[in-house]
Amino acid sequence: MPTRRDLIAALERAVGREHVLWRPEDLAVYEFDGTIEKSMPHAVVLPGTTEEVAAAVRACNRLGVPITPRGAGTGLSGGSVPAKRGVVIGTGRMRQILEIDPVDLVAVVEPGVPNLDVSKAAAPFGLFYAPDPSSQQACSIGGNVAENAGGPHCLALGVTQNHVLGMEVVTAAGEVAWLGGRVVDSFGYDLRGAFIGSEGTLGIVTKVVLKLLPVPASVVTLLAAFDTVEQASETVSSIIGAGIIPAAMEMMDRLCLQAAEAGFQCGYPPDAGAVLLVELDGLPEAIDSEAARVRAECLERGAVDVRVASSDRERALLWKGRKNAIPALGRLAPNYYIVDGVVPRSKLVDVMQVVGEVSERTGIPIANVFHAGDGNLHPLVLFDEREPGMTERVLDAAAQIMKACVDAGGALSGEHGIGAEKRQFMPWLYGETDIENMERLRGTFGNTGQFNPCKLLPGGIGCGEMAHQAAAVRAAGPDAYV
Amino acid sequence: MASEGLWPVPGDAPTTEDLSRCVHCGLCLSSCPTYLVTGLEVESPRGRIHFAKLIAEGRSELTPAIGRHWDLCLQCRACEAVCPSGVAYGRIQEHARAQLSGTPGGRVQRGLRRLMLRNVIARPRLLAAAMAPARWYTGSPVRGPLRRTGVLRLLGRLGAGERQLPARTGRPFRPGDKLAQPAEARERALLFSGCVMGELFGEVHRATGRVLARAGVATEAPVTQSCCGALHAHDGDLEFARKLARRNIAAFEGSDLPIVVNSAGCGAAMKEYGDLLAGDAKWAGRARTFAARVKDPSEYLAEVGADIPGRLAAKVAYQDACHLAHAQGIREQPRELLRGIGGCDLVETPGADECCGAAGIYSLVQPEMSARLRSRKAEQFREARPDIVVTANPGCQMQYNAAIAEAGIDARVMHLLEVLDEAQAAAEQGQR
Repeated sequence: MPTRRDLIAALERAVGREHVLWRPEDLAVYEFDGTIEKSMPHAVVLPGTTEEVAAAVRACNRLGVPITPRGAGTGLSGGSVPAKRGVVIGTGRMRQILEIDPVDLVAVVEPGVPNLDVSKAAAPFGLFYAPDPSSQQACSIGGNVAENAGGPHCLALGVTQNHVLGMEVVTAAGEVAWLGGRVVDSFGYDLRGAFIGSEGTLGIVTKVVLKLLPVPASVVTLLAAFDTVEQASETVSSIIGAGIIPAAMEMMDRLCLQAAEAGFQCGYPPDAGAVLLVELDGLPEAIDSEAARVRAECLERGAVDVRVASSDRERALLWKGRKNAIPALGRLAPNYYIVDGVVPRSKLVDVMQVVGEVSERTGIPIANVFHAGDGNLHPLVLFDEREPGMTERVLDAAAQIMKACVDAGGALSGEHGIGAEKRQFMPWLYGETDIENMERLRGTFGNTGQFNPCKLLPGGIGCGEMAHQAAAVRAAGPDAYV
Repeated sequence: MASEGLWPVPGDAPTTEDLSRCVHCGLCLSSCPTYLVTGLEVESPRGRIHFAKLIAEGRSELTPAIGRHWDLCLQCRACEAVCPSGVAYGRIQEHARAQLSGTPGGRVQRGLRRLMLRNVIARPRLLAAAMAPARWYTGSPVRGPLRRTGVLRLLGRLGAGERQLPARTGRPFRPGDKLAQPAEARERALLFSGCVMGELFGEVHRATGRVLARAGVATEAPVTQSCCGALHAHDGDLEFARKLARRNIAAFEGSDLPIVVNSAGCGAAMKEYGDLLAGDAKWAGRARTFAARVKDPSEYLAEVGADIPGRLAAKVAYQDACHLAHAQGIREQPRELLRGIGGCDLVETPGADECCGAAGIYSLVQPEMSARLRSRKAEQFREARPDIVVTANPGCQMQYNAAIAEAGIDARVMHLLEVLDEAQAAAEQGQR
């Protein structure tokens, strides 16, 4: 390792003096993202151009210092937490929307642009950017690409992978490259595809070409209230089984409803055990009859109330509650651990039952809000990390839920990424050869194990489990790590 | 490792309860003006809360760098309005500033600031004397020629302050002064007159009185009221803010009449007197009762349900005052009132609810960031070309005067109540 002074000097040469942070207290606010993982970097740099990103990466490589890319730091799998310390390269200053092209139907943006800003800029042309993660007001496009972000409206339209045509990247080796382009390019190796969802282990995105879609002609949003999560889960399968693919189909349980209602007075039914939020879009004639069928399916499965948003305002409010539901749980507990598992829709009821059992067995409350249509669960384990031993118990409960998802034929992540904590579960799904192939792919982009280390793939030297380290970090203070 | 006793931790330091509400989801980031300008987590609400956590947990000392990050916060509370978890950011920041008062860094500056806030702003006679030159200057014949010479540009902060002054200030309004009265009163209300508001924006109070009178509300301004203490609280001088709060509570007690506050910053602070005095067993209950009576005029007019016709053919850009939109949650009522005016073309400029950079005394103590935020507004005005920029807070009004000058457009800056008054007067004339 170089001395801290050498490192800072090299970084200042790469991006300019005022864009390097090195004071321990400043670095401490870059120790976390939206999860409970914590680890403090040795320095943070905020480049303003592609060239500066490349220069910063090369400087770190030369000195053998680990690099962790960071967008807005809203991630939910610890992807931007610098597990082996080193340097965080943030995209907070690269926030230009370079182009909106209403004929090619693309937007070209820098990586630090918040997701929602793309749709805002495209709105005057009657266009929008489809993937809509719940943190879309703040989360960055660069981070969306890295984590292959989803969102409620990915049920019918697909995730980030389906909406990125191409991008300019700085690879882990520090080289600038274009993957994909402005048009659909379906021949040869799909490096663009490999890069999306690579969780910042292959490089840093510096420009992205996004696909834009026309805003749907009309939208109907229904809110169905049920007594139990089970009834609501069954309804999800029966709606899809009836041949209807809504634009979005979301579920919230009682705890989430209460938290969201406390925050934003969305008009959710206070006594419901669960609600389904179903959105249909398309031509007005078609969706009216679809809405009637959805209502019928809900009532058939025991819905106590089904209501249609009567105005744009009411619709926006229903969505506001849903999109803020997870962080709103901060009203109920100081910390939550968010599980992001996927199960086949047909197994939704069984796995939800396991979630309930885990909560009962461990005595730890678990709230549920999820993309029901996709079978993408988000059980939220509520706790207080200041209670000794609690974090370990929570991680254990989460592991039990993950195992149930995998056993049901599901996957380890729907949209948040594998990140730090779940990579140990990768062997549940992938064989040795699979993981070796992934490691080789990682090497192709120049990652020698120092580029966003301790993420996505199991193994690696010097990777402790960060959440377990958190208590130690707190006890030792920031200076102990410099 | 932080050792103990290096800096005093006053009773007013941010509470563990408030701090543990933050789950660092980051949804506040894109609402924070200083984060949008810098792209730095250390200049974001989440970062500033984390600093307070680090200090509370003994992981860091309250270093000068942390003090600077806190000081750069506008306290606009846009983050609080979007926070899903309901973090009381405004309160945390006020308590952080209180904690800052005990540290050595920037002691002289802070001391001077506090001296000014305690002994000038909160003392009506001294304030009147201090404001007299500014009042004389705005109406004087030297202003125009002086501006044209460009000599003001050489004066730095003083020149920037000059650009903030309104075209004319009119007569001051002081507690006890007479307000217009309705022929037949169907409601009664009390008016809060404030400090700078009354000295430089007396016309806004008189306009408020006329608008309320047309709605059938008899209004008076109790004599013994004083400055609301918002500026002191934002500066972390909670002790003095509490003193002023008690004085106002006493001044307005004796009835349950609504207290109309037309300065958004004061209104927000007064609605939170209950919070401010929560630890004071003798006053806590009275403070809560008082706070529940405080109303912004737009909120009060909506409740009273007066539908007075108005006429004003103008393109109007309404700019939310932060402490009206974010702290009091009042966004729709002012817009509704403007939409109700015949001929009024209400335009929504992008970022209408983003801070203009006035933020109490922020434009004086953080001139650079303040100017950057003002320039964003100037750009929007240049684009939208409004005839009138409307807001609901004296500091914002002054900042918009400067923004208009920067944009180089010909527009008036008015308080919402002045617009209503002018439009209603015009409609009355038309009927006659």
